[in-house]
Amino acid sequence: MAGVNRRPLLERLGKEWLFFDGGTGTILQEKGLQGGELPERWNLTRPEDIIDLHCGYLRAGCDIFNTNTFGANALKFPDEGELRAIVEAAVSLAQEARRRTGRGDAYIALDIGPTGRLLEPLGDLPFERAVDLFGQVVRIGAAAGADLVLIETMSDSYESKAAVLAAKENCDLPVLITNVYDGSGKLLTGGTVASTVAMLEGLRVDGLGVNCGMGPEQMIPIVQQLVETASVPVLVNPNAGLPRSENGRTVYDVDPETFAVWMKKIAAMGVQAVGGCCGTTPDHIRRTVEAVRNLPFIPVSRKHRTVVSSYSQAVEIGKKPLIIGERINPTGKKKFKEALRDNNIEYILEEGLRQEDSGAHILDVNVGLPEIDEPRMMETVVTRLQSILALPLQIDTSDPAAMERGMRLYNGKPMVNSVNGKRESLESVLPLVAKYGGVVVGLTLDEGGIPETADGRIEIAKKIYRAADRFGVPREDVVIDALAMTISSDTKGALVTLETLRRVRDELGGHTILGVSNISFGLPERSVINAHFLTMAMQMGLSCAIMNPGNEDMILAYRAFLALSDMDPQCMGYIDTCANIVRRPASANISGGAGTAAGDAAAAPGTLAAVPEGTAGGRANAGAPGLPGAAGGKNQDKSGAMSLAESIRRGMGQKAAEAASALLAEGLPALELINRELIPALDVVGKGFEKGTIFLPQLLMSAEAAKAAFEVIKETMRDEKREARGRIILATVKGDIHDIGKNIVKVMLENYGYDILDLGKDVAPETIVETAQREKIRLVGLSALMTTTVVSMEETIRQLREKKPDTRVVVGGAVMTQEYADSIGADCYAPDAMATVHYAEEVFG
Amino acid sequence: MIETDKREVYRYLGYRKNMPDEAVVRLVDECLKDLQEAVTPRYIFREYPIQSVYPAGGSAAQIPVLRIAGMEISSRSLMRNLRGCESVYLMGTTLGLGPDRLIARASVKHMSRAVILQAAAAAMIEAWTDRVNGEIIQAAAAKGLYCRPRFSPGYGDFPLEFQEDLARILRLQKEIGVSLTESMLMMPSKSVTAVVGLSREKAGCVLHGCEECTKSQDCAFARNKV
Repeated sequence: MAGVNRRPLLERLGKEWLFFDGGTGTILQEKGLQGGELPERWNLTRPEDIIDLHCGYLRAGCDIFNTNTFGANALKFPDEGELRAIVEAAVSLAQEARRRTGRGDAYIALDIGPTGRLLEPLGDLPFERAVDLFGQVVRIGAAAGADLVLIETMSDSYESKAAVLAAKENCDLPVLITNVYDGSGKLLTGGTVASTVAMLEGLRVDGLGVNCGMGPEQMIPIVQQLVETASVPVLVNPNAGLPRSENGRTVYDVDPETFAVWMKKIAAMGVQAVGGCCGTTPDHIRRTVEAVRNLPFIPVSRKHRTVVSSYSQAVEIGKKPLIIGERINPTGKKKFKEALRDNNIEYILEEGLRQEDSGAHILDVNVGLPEIDEPRMMETVVTRLQSILALPLQIDTSDPAAMERGMRLYNGKPMVNSVNGKRESLESVLPLVAKYGGVVVGLTLDEGGIPETADGRIEIAKKIYRAADRFGVPREDVVIDALAMTISSDTKGALVTLETLRRVRDELGGHTILGVSNISFGLPERSVINAHFLTMAMQMGLSCAIMNPGNEDMILAYRAFLALSDMDPQCMGYIDTCANIVRRPASANISGGAGTAAGDAAAAPGTLAAVPEGTAGGRANAGAPGLPGAAGGKNQDKSGAMSLAESIRRGMGQKAAEAASALLAEGLPALELINRELIPALDVVGKGFEKGTIFLPQLLMSAEAAKAAFEVIKETMRDEKREARGRIILATVKGDIHDIGKNIVKVMLENYGYDILDLGKDVAPETIVETAQREKIRLVGLSALMTTTVVSMEETIRQLREKKPDTRVVVGGAVMTQEYADSIGADCYAPDAMATVHYAEEVFG
Repeated sequence: MIETDKREVYRYLGYRKNMPDEAVVRLVDECLKDLQEAVTPRYIFREYPIQSVYPAGGSAAQIPVLRIAGMEISSRSLMRNLRGCESVYLMGTTLGLGPDRLIARASVKHMSRAVILQAAAAAMIEAWTDRVNGEIIQAAAAKGLYCRPRFSPGYGDFPLEFQEDLARILRLQKEIGVSLTESMLMMPSKSVTAVVGLSREKAGCVLHGCEECTKSQDCAFARNKV
């Protein structure tokens, strides 16, 4: 076949007009493809029709045409031999079409469509499994002779990332990708043009754009955003209008002539390649080629913006100072370390949510602790955090393996903390940034230590920029850390840091970052120093402040700076922040604070009241009607505050915590408090629930209030170990991703003093059995929502019986009944959370 | 804005005929508001002829087989539902991933909120599906046809496995962002697929209803149950 006159694609893409082909499905339907048929199979059964399809587009003048492999992956074609045959045939049919039309100059794109499944953790397809599925097709297609990989019709950023990585890791061909956006300009899973472009450019795609979903006219706002955002060639492949249904068939109404008129308009907006998608035909493409070919070609311009992204938002660094929340970090935090050791991910997630509510723009994630498997923990925390919050993350670790795990599994373009001027660091970190994309923090230190002068730090900054360039990391993806060191050991320290900031901005035109609170180590009233230093640093051009967004002084300094620098329209940000702050009493200002470790003044009084405590519970002033009366104990303390029992019954977390501390202050021993106040109050609510006078939301609100009180009590018991009443595994079984029922049970069991090993959802039987064996667990609770997943429940029980026969199993879930539970061999059927509590009491005595 | 019936939310929360207390009522209001901001409601429906109905060959059960858009469905309850129909609308609706994210988020610290979000989102997807169903009824009326109550895979003896066919035929993933897990669960979880029969004859109930579902006897959430 020898590509006689075929120049490498990348010599042409972005330098001259290139045209894609049009729709496949519509044409194959005309040729007789049936509704239920898999079109890829035609590569084997109807090869002439496929060649014919390609020839039509090649004769119409397209330069890049797609193999018939959109849905060719192992999920749809589990037989490996068949998949291979289909993909190989697809490429050879394309080659044949090229030969027949004498279009040796045209490029064969190995077409990759979505798997059709949603990735974990919201869906059930593991990220690495998706990478494998795509990788398999890429290897076959590349070996068969495709000229490029075209990933298309992707509506999820995470799956896009899996596909791009698979392409990059399994071949050396150019990789192009187009996504589906909806009328609101977003991907179906929430990504914006800006967030998607940031991630894909980070992954070093050779071109990106939009296809399918809508017609050319509706696509214009998205194209506009693409050309304003992208630094790589922009590709636009619309449908022939919006779909319409006619006798069970999907039809598209925009005719070739009208389509070409719109495509001409789109081409003139500054895109570099155009073609069509569903409903477009060779005629649409021919007209488009004619209309666009002679327009002046505008190459794409590099935007040089420093951007990080999450699945749904892009955050630009350098426009105005940003706050990077520092609280997800075990340094100097005993409870955080405990959480890491106990695999208590919820604790870490709570820190994340709290900082998001306090106004952080990016969250630093550091889970390094010598005794844990850091890469694995990084993976878990990153994937869990990104499924519940929309802030971009900063992967913070000195372990390259953990760094790579975090960057790979991250759904977006992360910030990476950090590289420094040491050769070893540059050589291990920069290649990761070049592969996965990211904005990397460059610490101004090297083999010679931390320079004492700004000159020295600027030299290292330059060295880092040079190395980045060598590894293919653009300058704008480096942010220089000028290093803040405590002024208590060297009083010139702050000035050197500030001067470094200024010179990075003025002389190097770069962006900067600082761990702000380091400046005040060893001094009293640290947050005063921190706040003032923050202001000075921002004045010198600081782009990112790593700090505790819950620290009132610092957040006010930040807001004040924005207001004073004309970066806060109508001062609304400042005013809102003030409105949300609960000012601490003057006396606390003097007694508290001093001596706490680095930025570790946890959310104590005087910090931002970020999360509305206990949601409605905290605000419910009126008595809850229908609740049983007081159950002994003190109802009112001297100050008129609500009693502990009463606040638990009414589900008021803040009040419960206050009441618990008041009782402790009076000298009531912690254990007595639990046994005489807390548990009886919970029992009252539990009984009400069983009688049907109290309903699930109230039961849980009471449980949460009790938990708030527990937290206070635990503080005083730090050193005496409170014996758990028993350890229980909870899991939602394999195949099931709805875990709300399991989570309800968990809250209740924890309240009653049980230690819960929460294995999560979609958990394989083997994992449950292994954990039960390893941890010597006597009780396992399993939940399943649907009949289709009860099968996994049965299998789990079977394996447990075989390998750990002394473990009891309690089951629950929407479809479960006593009869059903008996038939699969469970020891107990629990219709609700309280029933599980009772069964646990029975098992553990 | 999707108008959601709060009584439905209370019903899903298990209140039956009781009225929740003030704190819960307020929390329900808050959750509905949060959901309203988080949802990205989408829908698709397409009309397909009922290609044929024929008795299953040789089987003792003698359940007729319905052919719609290439699917071959043998289900007594769907047959009953589609009696007198010549075509159907296949429909898919979803609230998007927003509610799933909100619920996952609330589950970290406030299960009470998670449970209420769950109930509120369930009521909201019903309301959204009713609205889309309303459009279908209008589209049918324009052709002089009457709709039957919508019927979903998993209702009665209409096997859940047909989720897969509906997803493929309606291209749910591409069109409205709904995908299936290996065990046939829809993600986003607040999504509905259904068959709506079209007939020249008028029938009683045109919207959905528990009365149509054979599982309503042992369903804790069924309407009109004490």
